Amino acid sequence: MRLTFITIAILIASISIVSAQGIGSGGTIKDDGRFAASTKQLNQFFRRFNAEESINGNVRFYPGDSLYHNPSLRKGFLQVLFDNQTSGITPALKSQFAEQVMSEVYPQYLSFHREGWFAEVKAEFFFQGKRETANLILKIQPQGLGYEWVIDAVDFGPFRNLFDKPVGDEKDFLHPLSHELGFMNLRRAFQDSELPEAFTGSSFSPDYLSIFLYEMKKGNLRFDTVSDVRFHFFQIEGWYFEVSQFNRPGFNTGWLISSLVKLNPGDKETLQKFIYGQN
Amino acid sequence: MKNTLILFLGLFLASSFTAMAQSENISPARKQAIDSLALEKVKDLSKYIAIIGSKDTQFSEANRVMDRAEELFAPGAEMGVSSINSSEIAYYKVRRYFERLMALNYDRVNITWYDIQYISDLERQPDGRYVGVITIFQRFEGTSIETGMNYKDTTKKDITIYVEKKQTQIAGRTIEFWDVMLGDVRVTETSA
Repeated sequence: MRLTFITIAILIASISIVSAQGIGSGGTIKDDGRFAASTKQLNQFFRRFNAEESINGNVRFYPGDSLYHNPSLRKGFLQVLFDNQTSGITPALKSQFAEQVMSEVYPQYLSFHREGWFAEVKAEFFFQGKRETANLILKIQPQGLGYEWVIDAVDFGPFRNLFDKPVGDEKDFLHPLSHELGFMNLRRAFQDSELPEAFTGSSFSPDYLSIFLYEMKKGNLRFDTVSDVRFHFFQIEGWYFEVSQFNRPGFNTGWLISSLVKLNPGDKETLQKFIYGQN
Repeated sequence: MKNTLILFLGLFLASSFTAMAQSENISPARKQAIDSLALEKVKDLSKYIAIIGSKDTQFSEANRVMDRAEELFAPGAEMGVSSINSSEIAYYKVRRYFERLMALNYDRVNITWYDIQYISDLERQPDGRYVGVITIFQRFEGTSIETGMNYKDTTKKDITIYVEKKQTQIAGRTIEFWDVMLGDVRVTETSA
């Protein structure tokens, strides 16, 4: 059985090698190992994190394959999935995380289709003639016959101070017998006040994404370019980590864990609010 | 040789269609066949890019090759290009990208590829088509004899592939097969 697997693995690998050599018919350059080591796609981050591919990435492991979710393979992958040059994540925290993720009784894996991870995209827009950066939060959702990325929220500088609901004595209001006058005093909210949001309910929370889309539809907002992408993961119980792309010389490159936090009760919600720009 | 390979892959994909249509899941064996077909398309693209970029290529020939190269792509595909000094992406329609490549003022252009590539899983999109990404690394060298300018860069190319079920008539029979089209390409300059 093992021999069969090895034979198949070599066969599959040789097919891939033939294909790879074919790409540069005018001559190929041999990789010195840096590109092979790099976590080239987020897809590869998932596969490496879960131990679902071979070391060189040429062979995909599926359930039933002997090396699928193999603990030794996974241990090796987890070590190279961290930004080991700039992030400053302590070795103790890393090993605590790895220990929990690879627990013999309850190993945890990442899932592309499961909730608990999302993308943060920095994009440049022209708003009323001025270049502005928007932080977009995108998430994967089932749709039709498959899946799609959708915009879940936006944090946009020019909107940040758009609403400033006063509190306490400074807050204007419609008195509790306004209904007896047919709400004729609505003029206080819509005509006399510069802060009409003062007259909204205590649960009022502006929907910045709707305003963003409205401005775009009105032609006041024009997309220019994407300037940064990173991913936030809450899929591992009790942990949060951020994955960013590192384009630099060396072997520790590509999509890597740039931040790792052990979560206490309540931290997850606070952190999510912070990333969503809702703090 | 290449035609034989494509024919073989086409037949392989066509013959494996029946089982696939039932479950709409792509088995590992089929996935590998699709990967090979996609790599063939990427190989064609790399060949076309080298021809378009070469100063030895006549204008009319370069235009003909651009047409062929464009046919590899799904309509509306774009190239998103960023350099090492800027993370911002400049977007070009595929045709415009080829035209810019042709207009580069080098006497000698040498485009080579690293012997490594990475192929993602195939994910199903809402319309039922599958989408994947192939990552390859390319080395570009341009030399201008007059100015003595020698420009080199290494880029990572993340190439979208769309995998779609299609039908064709052969000898009165309807044969269904899986076709691969290229989509948006993200070009990132690397530090290598």
